[in-house]
Amino acid sequence: MRKEERTPESASKRTTRSTVASPAPKPSKPPSISDCLLFPDDPISLDTLLSGLPGRKNQIFDVLRLIGPVNSPMLPILVYGGASTGKTASVLRIFRHLRRHFVYASCRTCYCPRILFDSVLNQLSLHRRSEENGYTNAKKCERASDFVNLLRDALVRAINLIGAGSKERTRVGDGEMIYLVFDNLEAIRSWDKSTSVLSLLLRLHDLLRMPEVGLVYISSATPDAYYGCTGSIEPVPVNFPGYNVNEVFDILMLNQANPKLYSTFLSAVLKSFYRVTRRVDELWIALNPLFKKYCEPLSDLNSVPDEGMKRRLFNSIQPHITAALNEVVEIPSYASHEKNKEGSGSRRGTMRRLSGKEAISDLDFHMSVSAKYLLVSAFLASRNPATLDAALFDSTGGSDNRKRKRRSSQMSIEKNDSVVEDILIKGPGSFPLERLLAIYQCITSVVEGEFNEQQPEDGVTMEGGKIGLMSDVLLQLSTLCNANFIVRSGSCPLEGSTRFRSTIDEDLALMVARSINFPLAKYLCRR
Amino acid sequence: MASSSSFKLAPASPSAQKSSMAEKALALLRSRLRDQSFAHGVFKSSPDSNYSKLKFLISTSIAEGCNNSVLLLGPRGSGKISVVELVLADLSADYPDMLSVIRLNGLLHSDDNCGLKEIARQLCLEHQLLFSKMASSDDNSQFMLDMLRECGLAHKTLIFLLDEFDLFAQGKQRLLYSLLDAMQTLSSQAVAIGVSCRLDADQLLEKRVRSRFSHRKLLFIPLTTEDLKVFLNHALYLPEDSSFSSNYVKEFNSRVKIILGDKKFNEALNSLSNVDGTIGNILRFLYQAVSYMDLASGLLTLQNFKSAILCFQKQPKLDIVKDASVLELYILVCMNRLETKEQNTYNFNSILKEYKAIHEAYKTSDHYGRTVCSRAYEHLLEQELICFVDGKGRHLSNECRPVKLLVSFSELCHGLKSNTSCPAILQKLLDHESFK
Repeated sequence: MRKEERTPESASKRTTRSTVASPAPKPSKPPSISDCLLFPDDPISLDTLLSGLPGRKNQIFDVLRLIGPVNSPMLPILVYGGASTGKTASVLRIFRHLRRHFVYASCRTCYCPRILFDSVLNQLSLHRRSEENGYTNAKKCERASDFVNLLRDALVRAINLIGAGSKERTRVGDGEMIYLVFDNLEAIRSWDKSTSVLSLLLRLHDLLRMPEVGLVYISSATPDAYYGCTGSIEPVPVNFPGYNVNEVFDILMLNQANPKLYSTFLSAVLKSFYRVTRRVDELWIALNPLFKKYCEPLSDLNSVPDEGMKRRLFNSIQPHITAALNEVVEIPSYASHEKNKEGSGSRRGTMRRLSGKEAISDLDFHMSVSAKYLLVSAFLASRNPATLDAALFDSTGGSDNRKRKRRSSQMSIEKNDSVVEDILIKGPGSFPLERLLAIYQCITSVVEGEFNEQQPEDGVTMEGGKIGLMSDVLLQLSTLCNANFIVRSGSCPLEGSTRFRSTIDEDLALMVARSINFPLAKYLCRR
Repeated sequence: MASSSSFKLAPASPSAQKSSMAEKALALLRSRLRDQSFAHGVFKSSPDSNYSKLKFLISTSIAEGCNNSVLLLGPRGSGKISVVELVLADLSADYPDMLSVIRLNGLLHSDDNCGLKEIARQLCLEHQLLFSKMASSDDNSQFMLDMLRECGLAHKTLIFLLDEFDLFAQGKQRLLYSLLDAMQTLSSQAVAIGVSCRLDADQLLEKRVRSRFSHRKLLFIPLTTEDLKVFLNHALYLPEDSSFSSNYVKEFNSRVKIILGDKKFNEALNSLSNVDGTIGNILRFLYQAVSYMDLASGLLTLQNFKSAILCFQKQPKLDIVKDASVLELYILVCMNRLETKEQNTYNFNSILKEYKAIHEAYKTSDHYGRTVCSRAYEHLLEQELICFVDGKGRHLSNECRPVKLLVSFSELCHGLKSNTSCPAILQKLLDHESFK
């Protein structure tokens, strides 16, 4: 998924095996071995291979070396490196370059052993699941022992087919080896019975004992992650290190419409982004909107900027860099983008600290008023200790002065570091449903009180508040639970009732409170 | 890079001939190194080798028509299965049609029913019988008994090769019991070979199974230095009688001889075998080195072996720290500071607090918002430089779950030093910690 974003070209390449190929052009003609086990597109030269993957020259040569010349047997290899370092792209393109027969199975898309086994066997027996065969698999394979037997049979058959093809000179691939590529090996560790599956895959070389079969594993976890589960002979490791700044530059420059302009843009901003993250996929996402902003003053996008223009563009982009840095993580939606523009202009002074969210002054999503109250009360229940509830919310509400004084005196007793540490370590506290409802009732009654002072005749709001406490609130609660604003945190062993915990942070709570004009800060116990 | 030329096509005819020769040599070496059976072939003649002992054991039980059982124990990669395969291949040449081998693997067939089914399947395959998938476990075990008797009557020896023997000893050991119990009768003629990397594999057996097991054990130990030399000569020299031109072979072998005599090479080899001296490890090292061979010259060089050694001395954790971004380094250093402060549990919130404290104290230029930090934190989690202390904590959000560092202090120090973009302040902070 990640690599596609960076090199859109490779994305289509990888999916071709399943998507483009699967609407079989002529159902009458059985698929040949070269259709199924070779890379579907035309082979590429070594130069194209290297230039398409900047900064991976040494690694590509390492893999090529270990795979070896045509028809040479190999030991299993393990390609490892962090996310978005071009492992899968490199390996697949190497097979495209070599024009050898291979089977690719990703342990992330094939998310359980059975599907993984089926996927490998289907590809090897040239079987495509389609409407005609009712999406059935080539072989029924439930157990690991069946898999090894079936795999051996399928491999022998495929190798024979390749051999026959080479005699009849109808073959297009090179060599008679078949390579099995297992991607995302690290995902297996979270499966059920992960150790047995992993040791099965890592020991396929010993189990099959077929010189015509090569094994390539791709993993984002380092080889030592697999020591414990097999204790077995590890494959030969090939490390894909992270890109350095020049390589990132080269990668981002690929497929640009106006390379000159983009390179001046990159040299202005890339350094600062590179300090935050080195992952090309994230950089790509973060830089795209910034580049659009960079181009805004330009009338002609194809023009080559001169020195003065460069300086002017740089000055115009400078203020946006810091804001964009904090957005490295977010995929900006259109709405938040618009707000970002206003926000960075007007509100920067007030909420400097929380730059990530500051710009979004209003909620991005719609929520009913009672849900907002419920969310605020859940937040209060999580943040404030239960002992303070009585002090904060009595019949007159927390808004009058006497209460506040008492509260602050109580505060001063508790004002010590250990409590602060506690909150940091333990996170939001949990609370039973009764407490939540009690706080909810209190804060709604306070607001109604205020309303009533302003417009004493309005009976509707008052009744609305009362009615809101009935079944409706429980429904809202379950909605909030589903939206993950509030989580159920297991039941208390003593009381036996379900306890809840609010997951929202203070900024969001303040925002919600502001949208319903609720004075949240007054009720928060500050430490 | 030396090898970049090896993938270019050789242009002229004499060099093309040479490179085709080199390619053939490379293929030969690679096929030697991928299979341990070849490596063990060299020790065939020595009377003390496990090969000779095992061969003697099995051939006597074939000749005398008796039952036998043996355990082969040794670390991973010491070539237990390869030796068995070699022995079996030679014996089936010596006694044609008197052997049939059933291969089971503990990884696949440790389940009793599944194991019996696999035995029945392989017996059917071996004797051209029709195997029924629907047969019950009882049917299968009855079939196995019948086959054992029939084979005994026909003076045919059944060999049960149980790889990962220790895994068969999990659970009720019904498979082992029924197999070994069937071998107690006079009419049967079978050998059970257990292969395991657990040296205490025979202690895992239940009493009723153990009493039926002969306690023969063959121990596989890492190669001695002399054996290693013999093996290297065996693996790396090209044969003189073959299709290679004699000049090429002479040149190649003389190069190999120089390399094998080199002091540095032997030191490297020693350090390698000190860590893991099994034949599997040595083979992997040689495979790496051979794959570095330059096809244009077609000769092995000392440099090939040096590069291979470098690959073996990689420290993945250190590499990750080396590649980490500046913000990720800040988080690591913050965590290290929290740990040296003897704060027993800490989570993202406390790390962020520490991060802010550093920022306020030193006025660093790298100050980023909470969301950015949390993404960097997730990168570290993903790369397994840090991990959550508790496995469960599902109802806590990630920010509140306690974490710990998975890199040691010295690794962190080295990583920071080798990281090119690491700010000086971090280095200082870390050094300062170490003095305390």
